[in-house]
Amino acid sequence: MTTVEQRTGLVGQGVDRVDGPLKVTGAARYPNDFSYPDLAYAALVRSTVAAGRISRLDTAAALASPGVLAVITHQNAPRLERAPDSGLTAPPPPLQDDRITFHGQYVAVVVADSAEEATAAARRVEAEYEPAEPILDMGDPRAEWITDPWGTDSSRGDLKGALASAEVRFEATYTTAANSNSPMGLFSTVAVWDGDDLTIHDSTQWPSYLRKAIAQVFSLPEGNVRVLCPYVGGAFGAGLRAWPHIMLAALAARTVGRPVKLVLTRPEMFTGVGHRTASEQCVKLGATRDGRLVALAHESTTPLQIEGTQFEPCTAGSASAYACPNVITRDRQVRLNIPWCNFMRAPGEAQGNFALESAMDELAYELGMDPLELRLRNYSEDNPRLELPWSSKSLRECYEVGAERFGWSRRSPEPGSMRDGDSLIGYGVAGVSFFWYQEPCEARATLRKDGTAVVRSAVTDIGTGTYTVMTQLSAECLGLDMAHVTFELGDSDLPAGAAAGGSGLTAAVGSAVQAACRNLVRAFLDTVRDDPTSPLQGCTIDEVSVGGGRIHRIDAPESGEAYADILAAHGIGELSADGSSTPNDPKVAGMAPSGAFAARFVEVRVDPDLGLMQVARVVSVVDAGRILNEKTATSQIMGGTVGGIGMAMLEEIVTDPGTGRVANATFGDYLIPVNADIPDMEVAFVGRPDRFNSVGVKGVGEIGLVGIGAAIANAVHHATGRRVRSLPITIEQLF
Amino acid sequence: MADDMTGGVPVATVARVGVTLTVNGADYRLDLDSRVTLLDALRDRLGMTGTKKGCDQGACGACTVMVDGKRVLSCLTLAAQCEGKDVTTIEGLAADGVLHAMQEAFVRHDAFQCGYCTSGQIMSAVCLLAEGRAGSDDAIRQFMSGNLCRCGAYGNIVAAIREVRDAGGHDA
Ligand code: FES
Ligand code: FES
Repeated sequence: MTTVEQRTGLVGQGVDRVDGPLKVTGAARYPNDFSYPDLAYAALVRSTVAAGRISRLDTAAALASPGVLAVITHQNAPRLERAPDSGLTAPPPPLQDDRITFHGQYVAVVVADSAEEATAAARRVEAEYEPAEPILDMGDPRAEWITDPWGTDSSRGDLKGALASAEVRFEATYTTAANSNSPMGLFSTVAVWDGDDLTIHDSTQWPSYLRKAIAQVFSLPEGNVRVLCPYVGGAFGAGLRAWPHIMLAALAARTVGRPVKLVLTRPEMFTGVGHRTASEQCVKLGATRDGRLVALAHESTTPLQIEGTQFEPCTAGSASAYACPNVITRDRQVRLNIPWCNFMRAPGEAQGNFALESAMDELAYELGMDPLELRLRNYSEDNPRLELPWSSKSLRECYEVGAERFGWSRRSPEPGSMRDGDSLIGYGVAGVSFFWYQEPCEARATLRKDGTAVVRSAVTDIGTGTYTVMTQLSAECLGLDMAHVTFELGDSDLPAGAAAGGSGLTAAVGSAVQAACRNLVRAFLDTVRDDPTSPLQGCTIDEVSVGGGRIHRIDAPESGEAYADILAAHGIGELSADGSSTPNDPKVAGMAPSGAFAARFVEVRVDPDLGLMQVARVVSVVDAGRILNEKTATSQIMGGTVGGIGMAMLEEIVTDPGTGRVANATFGDYLIPVNADIPDMEVAFVGRPDRFNSVGVKGVGEIGLVGIGAAIANAVHHATGRRVRSLPITIEQLF
Repeated sequence: MADDMTGGVPVATVARVGVTLTVNGADYRLDLDSRVTLLDALRDRLGMTGTKKGCDQGACGACTVMVDGKRVLSCLTLAAQCEGKDVTTIEGLAADGVLHAMQEAFVRHDAFQCGYCTSGQIMSAVCLLAEGRAGSDDAIRQFMSGNLCRCGAYGNIVAAIREVRDAGGHDA
């Protein structure tokens, strides 16, 4: 059977999203769109201190409020088990004791006949606290420090010696603010019990894990729990944990014996579903006069909530970004009384890349060298950390194509030297070497007697385009029209799916889908193996190809048989096959798994008189391996870029230093980019299919955000001569 | 409105209101808690979940619907205020299963990702053209800035609106 790589068919084409018509008509159903007869509504009560104990809870008034069915607190909640870890620790089950570790922790859930009644009654729950002095500052001597939390720290060569003897040295500290995922879809759970069976509609990115988590919390067999999430209103990482509110919805439904809907409020989204941590990073660089890096040290400290883990390696990427013989990277975390830290689009990389790529720009100025040239001079042909060849790398081409399209050669090196009328113009560049993370995944492909196929996996499409690209891939692997293939996802009863996270989903589910389709073709060949009337009798998988709804012989394409005819001839209703994928091992494969690479070019315009700062243009050139759908992949990069502009210029969770309360937990106060903030963006893809997974993809969901912060900071410096080492960069910092 | 006292805390009994909502051309008679917003009436009482709740605070535009031809935030509008007014939601835009030009353009230009903001974006975009405010890309960007899209589909949203404008499709 010919491999997908050799085909020039459906895959790659920028076809419209298959779920597009549902989304533009309002017919796509998100978790909070589901309703049930006799549905009750839940509202949450959150703590108003960041540390201490609940000393008194009075629920009488709430209970007496109109329509109220139940008020659950730690005083009457049943014991719940802890969810299993997913690689990250799960948040502890809610309402199990009186301890408070952050401002906004749930202390009660109120269930009522209507949402209005639940909300009104929740305000009547009276809570008093015995507060403790919260730890809110990384400099607080009481704070617990964790060094090398994930074993990702690295060291090679002799950093100290190399730094001491370097011809040019540079050192600076960079900070980034805490950011909120803030997907537009309010995270919601609808919980429905039927005896000991529980159905959950939820805004999750990982139904297979969430099912396991809920089952364990409620001590149920996993098979009793079904998690549904055919559409999720964005998540950007927030849907990767089994959050306490999910358990509260299920608990509320069991308590009142009715289905319960719990929709988080926008302010609750800031404390209840994680956030990107702030960071404080130090970068030290040593180089020769002609711009060869001889030393690179990158150290980062990030806050962490009081209990549980978070994987946020800010410095790990720096170990393999450049060819440099003497390198140290170190991450540390400090426990604070803050809401849960969690993944947010490009965790760690977003912060780490800002520090490293800003420092490279600063070094370029010290050397009097073009920042682009400095990057090319230190290009890592092999993965310098694993000392293995990359599975694919076209970063050089990203720089070249990007520079050409952007017009980098028009840049005059002197800061403040480019103007257009009253505006100072700045050009900035940043390089990105992204990592990715793949998990095991399963899929099942089924061909039905009418010749149509359905392919299934319990994954999610959080806007990334999984429905569409997996339909394309399945159609191509089976030789069917896209219109004859349906891809089903978002249901934990389907074959176990990987998380939509770590930019690894497309590789994981794509490889599983490919395997399932190939096995399905094998199953058809098995069916006709002994059929003397079939032109495919005795054919092996390597002797056939697919197309036009049929399997045919490669050596005689006219000799073949349609799937539907085979099923009919053998009296079979439908035929299914399973496929699975597991990540490759770098040592066995003899190559270092490449994530996507990118070069980001940004033009900013600053009007010093009016105090205006605007990103005017962004050119992104990305090596993401094989692109399954040019249209949706471009959208991913553009969307990530918008997130990057937010991180660079707008977004900052402000925590009240006295109380630990998130002080700007609304869209009126926590600013995210609006349409008018976003300039023209150009996206181009370069490179070849990656060799590390059979589909050849590298993931495009996160890299779009990375590098924008540094490119903007570098452009701002070029425009104004001001070096801003903290994100977000606001106009007040410039003048 | 009477207050009854429980444990020293006043508990409000909430007035109910009868209201007839005209949504996408059909009349619906509802008996509602007076606090119910147009958004919740559409979603929870009428089961029209195409209109989305992104903040419930008037700050995101996800809940945008058309009331008497104008775009309004349904989360900031009480259902009881809409008696006698004509409400159009995303469900009422396609006629006989044929997508509105704006809906079609949104699909073609990939002007959404997760799709959660999309109903609001499309309702806003349709009104924008009717308002005659889509003269330039800058104008589109400015006058669509009340509709947040966290997935960052802004560039494609502008492209879709531009295309419908250029095709002269400004009738809702
Ligand atoms: S839900 Fe109405 S503006 Fe956000
Ligand atoms: S498409 Fe996801 S918020 Fe706009």
